[in-house]
Amino acid sequence: MRDNEFSSLHLTELMDSHPHRPMRAWLGRRLEKLRQSESRLTLVLSLVIGVVVGLAVVAFILLTGRLGARMYPAGGAGWRRILVPALGSLGTGYLLWRWFPFARGSGIPQTKFAIFVNDGNIQFRTVLGKFFCCSASLASGIALGREGPSVHVGAGLASVIARNLGLSPKQVKALVPAGCAAALAAAFNTPIAAVLFSLEEIMGDMHAAVLGSVVLSAATSWMVLHLILGDDPLFHVASYRLVHPAELGVYAVLGVVGGLGSVAFVKLLLGLRARFMRLPAWTVWFQPLAGGLTVGLIGYFVPEVMGVGYNQVEKILNGDIVLKLVVLFAVVKIVATAVCYASGNAGGIFGPSLFIGAMMGAAVGGAAHAIFPAWTAGPGAYALVGMGTAFAGIVRTPLTSVIMIFEITRDYTIIVPLMISNLIAFFISQKLQKQPIYEALARQEGIHLPAHPGSGSEELQVRAAMHPAPAMLAPDAELGAVLLRTADSTGIFDAWPVGDENGLLGMIRSRDVDDAVAAGESHRRVDEFLAGNSEAPTHVHSDQTLSLALERMGASGLNVIPVVSRANVRQLIGVIALADILHAYGVLKAFSSREQSQPIAG
Amino acid sequence: MAEPVAARPFLGIFGLILLAIAALFAIDMLLARSERTESAAEAARVFQQGTALMQQSRNGEAIEKFQDAIAIERGNRDYRRSLAQAQFAAGKAADAESTLTELLQQDSTDGPASLIMGRALARQGRFAEAISYFHRAIYGQWTTDAAGNRLRTRFELIDLLAGSDSREELLAELLPVEERAPGDLQTRVRIGRLFLRAGAPARAADEFRGALQDAPDSADARSGLGEAEFAQGNYRAAQRDFAAALRLEHGDATARERLDLCNELLALDPTLRGLGPVERSHRSLALLQLTRDETSQCAGPNPSPELKELLDRAAGELKARVSAAREDEVYETNLTLSEQLWKSRRSQCRSPVVSQSPLALVQAKLAE
Repeated sequence: MRDNEFSSLHLTELMDSHPHRPMRAWLGRRLEKLRQSESRLTLVLSLVIGVVVGLAVVAFILLTGRLGARMYPAGGAGWRRILVPALGSLGTGYLLWRWFPFARGSGIPQTKFAIFVNDGNIQFRTVLGKFFCCSASLASGIALGREGPSVHVGAGLASVIARNLGLSPKQVKALVPAGCAAALAAAFNTPIAAVLFSLEEIMGDMHAAVLGSVVLSAATSWMVLHLILGDDPLFHVASYRLVHPAELGVYAVLGVVGGLGSVAFVKLLLGLRARFMRLPAWTVWFQPLAGGLTVGLIGYFVPEVMGVGYNQVEKILNGDIVLKLVVLFAVVKIVATAVCYASGNAGGIFGPSLFIGAMMGAAVGGAAHAIFPAWTAGPGAYALVGMGTAFAGIVRTPLTSVIMIFEITRDYTIIVPLMISNLIAFFISQKLQKQPIYEALARQEGIHLPAHPGSGSEELQVRAAMHPAPAMLAPDAELGAVLLRTADSTGIFDAWPVGDENGLLGMIRSRDVDDAVAAGESHRRVDEFLAGNSEAPTHVHSDQTLSLALERMGASGLNVIPVVSRANVRQLIGVIALADILHAYGVLKAFSSREQSQPIAG
Repeated sequence: MAEPVAARPFLGIFGLILLAIAALFAIDMLLARSERTESAAEAARVFQQGTALMQQSRNGEAIEKFQDAIAIERGNRDYRRSLAQAQFAAGKAADAESTLTELLQQDSTDGPASLIMGRALARQGRFAEAISYFHRAIYGQWTTDAAGNRLRTRFELIDLLAGSDSREELLAELLPVEERAPGDLQTRVRIGRLFLRAGAPARAADEFRGALQDAPDSADARSGLGEAEFAQGNYRAAQRDFAAALRLEHGDATARERLDLCNELLALDPTLRGLGPVERSHRSLALLQLTRDETSQCAGPNPSPELKELLDRAAGELKARVSAAREDEVYETNLTLSEQLWKSRRSQCRSPVVSQSPLALVQAKLAE
C-alpha cells in the first residue's frame, strides 16, 4: 500500500510536470486512482472486456460467414464440398501444429486449464490462432461450432488485457470468466445463459465471487452485438405450446433418446480422440485432414452436415422435416463432428450439440405426431426441446441449456417440457458417462481439471498438508540401494515415488522392498514392484480435499500418495501421508497427547 | 522507483485498448455492411427463383426457396408474404396463417398480408375471422396501386360473402363499391348481379339500366335487368328483357329458360291486370287444378283429415259449372281455396317446393 501511494504521488508529479499535456495528466491521475481501487478497476475492466470481446466475437462470426460465402458460392460445384474442407483442415492443421498448438479443439478445456492451473494465463498468440484458424476451418465446412472457440478467444482477450495492465494472477483469474461470458453472450445472443455457463461450467460454482464482473461483461458484449448486428435471435421459431398434459410423456421419451444420443456422441468422440492421440507425433499436423475428408465425403451426399448447420436447424425448428432425413442428419452429424474434433480441427461442440439435438427432437416429435396427432405438438416443438436436451446431455450444464433455449427462441411456453427432458438426458448422461466431456478431453491431454473447483475450503485442501516432492527413485535402481536410501524415513512414509526423466511412474511400498531384501532379492529392480497401475498411478492434486486424499489412500492401500500437477499428471509436486492428514484435522495431535498422558499397556 | 515506470504502461495499455476497440469496431462495421449487401443479393436471387417456381405452380419448391431467402434476410417482409402466398397456393392454409401471424404482429396495417390471411382463414372455413382480415386489407397499407388493390380486395370479399349467403353483409360491402367502382360495363353488370344475390333487385335494376344506357346492345346487361325485374315480380318487364336479351344473344340458354318461365307464369297468373272476368275465372280454375294436383301428389294416399277436406272442396269447385254471373265470386273462392291448399301443402308435405316453378311464383305473389 505504501508503495502504491508512493507510485501514485510520483506519477502525479510526473504528469503535472508536462504543462502542455494537462489532459494526459488528468487522465493519468484518474487511471492511477482506478488502479488503486480493486473493485472499481474490476468494474471498469469488465466493461472494457465486454466491449473488446463483443467486437472480437462479432468480427469472428462475420469473418467466418464471409469466408464461407467465398468458399461456397451460390450454385458452386459439388466437388467443392470435398476439396474445400480437405484443404481447409490441412491448412489450419499445419498452422495449429506449427504456430498455435494451444488453439486446437473447442477451447473450453483450455480456458478451464488457464483458470484453474495456469493463473488465468492465455497467450495472445493462442487468441490469434484460435480466431483465424477456427474462422478458416469453420468457413471451409468443418462440422464444428463457433461458440467454444469464441469462449476461448474471449477468455484469452480478458487474460491478455488483465496481464498487460499488470494485474495480479488472482485478478487475472477473476476476469477470465468475464471474457468467457462476454464471448458466449455475443456468439449465441444469450446474455443470461452466458452468465450461467461461465458459473456452471467454467467456474463450476454458481456462487462464484466473479458474478458481478461476469454479468457486466456479458451485458456489455450483448449490447455491442445488438449495436452491430441488430436484435435478431439465433433462431426464429414459431410459437409452440403443450397440446395435452400427456405430451409430457413424449418429452420424457425425448429426454431418454437425447441422453442416450449424447452419451453415444461423447463416447465416440473420446474414443476417436484417444485413437488419434496414439498415432505418431509426426502425423499431428495432417491428422485434421481425416476430419476434413470425412465431412467432405459425407457432405458431398448430405450437404446439411457441413459447417455449423444453423440454417438447417431453423428449418427443422419451423417444422420443415422428413422423418427419415432428420434421423440421417443426426447420425451423420454425430460421426462428422466426432471425427472433425478428434482429428484436431479447431472448433467447438456447442453448435453441433444443438444440431444433433434438434434432429433427435424432430425425429421423436415426428414419430409421436404421426401416432398421436391430436395429443402432440408438431415436430418443431420437439426439435426445440431436443436442442436443450442434447446440450444438457453432452455439455452437462442443465440450467444453462434451459435458459439458453429460452433466450434463443424467446418462447416461454416450452420451458416445462424442456426442463423435464433436459434433466432426464442429464441424469442418463451422468450415469453412462462418468466424466463430463470437457474434463475427459482435458484428461486425455494429461490435464486434470477440478471436478468441483468451487467446493472445499482452503484449510482442508491437500496443499495445506503436503510435503515437498522428495527425490524420486529411479525405476532401474536395485532394491538393496533403495533400502539404504529410504531407511531413515520409513517411520513416516510407507511408499516412495518412482520416476524417470518423463516424470512420475508410480509408487513403491517400503514393505515390498523390505520383504524382497529379506528374501535375498536385493538385486531386483524397483519398477518390478510398482504399486497399482503405472499408466495412471494413484494421485491427488494440491487443490483437492484431504477427504479425497484419504479415499484414494484407502483405495490404493498406500499411506502416502503423490501430489501432482493438474497440467501434467507426471509432474510430482509433493507427497501427502496419512499422518499429515490426521495432523491437519488435529486428530493425531489429540491422539498423541492422550497417548502421552495414558500410555497403552503392553 | 519501479512503480512509476510500471504505471506509465497502464495509461499506454488503456490507449492501446481504445485503439483496438476503434479498429475492431471499424472492421465489424465493414464486415457487417459487406454481409448485409451480399446477403441481400443472395436472398434476392433465391427469392427470384422461388417466384419463378410459383409462376409454374411448383409451389412446394417455391416454398423452400422462399424459406431459404427468409433465412438469409429475415427482416424482408416481401419474402414472408410470398412464402405465405406459396403456402396458401400449395393448400397449406394453416402454415400460411402461421407465417402471416408473425408478419401481422409486426405490422397490423399490412394490406397484402391481411388479404392472404383472409384467404387462408376463409379456406379453413373461419369466415368471421376471414372477413375481419379482408377488412384490414381494404383499410390497410398498400405500396402500389392502393385504390385498385383495395377495390379488388373488396370484390374478393364480396365474392366470399356471396358464396356464403351472407346477404346483409354482402349488401353492406356492395354499397361503397357502387360508388367507387370504375363505370365500365363488365364491372356494372358484375355489381348488378351481386346486388341481385344480396336481395336488392331494385338497386340491381338501376345498375343494369345504367349499364344499358352506355351499352344498349349488351345482352348481359339486358338479361341482368330481366332478372332484376323478375325478382321484383315485374314478370311482363322481365319477359320483355329476356326476349330482348335473346335477340341480342341467340345462344343464351339461361335467358331462354327464364323467358319460358316468364311465359308460363304470365299464362297462369290470374291476377294480372287487363284480364277479362272469363279469363280470370279460367286462370283461377287452372291455378286451383295445378295446386290440387301438386298437393294431392305430395300428400300421397292418406292425407290428414283437414287436407283431405280441402282437397275434396277443391275437387268440388273444379267440377262445378259456373254461371257467368258468379264468375267473380268463383274467382275469389278459387284463389282462396288455392291459397289454403298451398299453405297446407307447405306444412304437411315433406318434399320441398320448386321455388322457380310458375305455380310457386304465382302462389308467392298471391301470398303477398
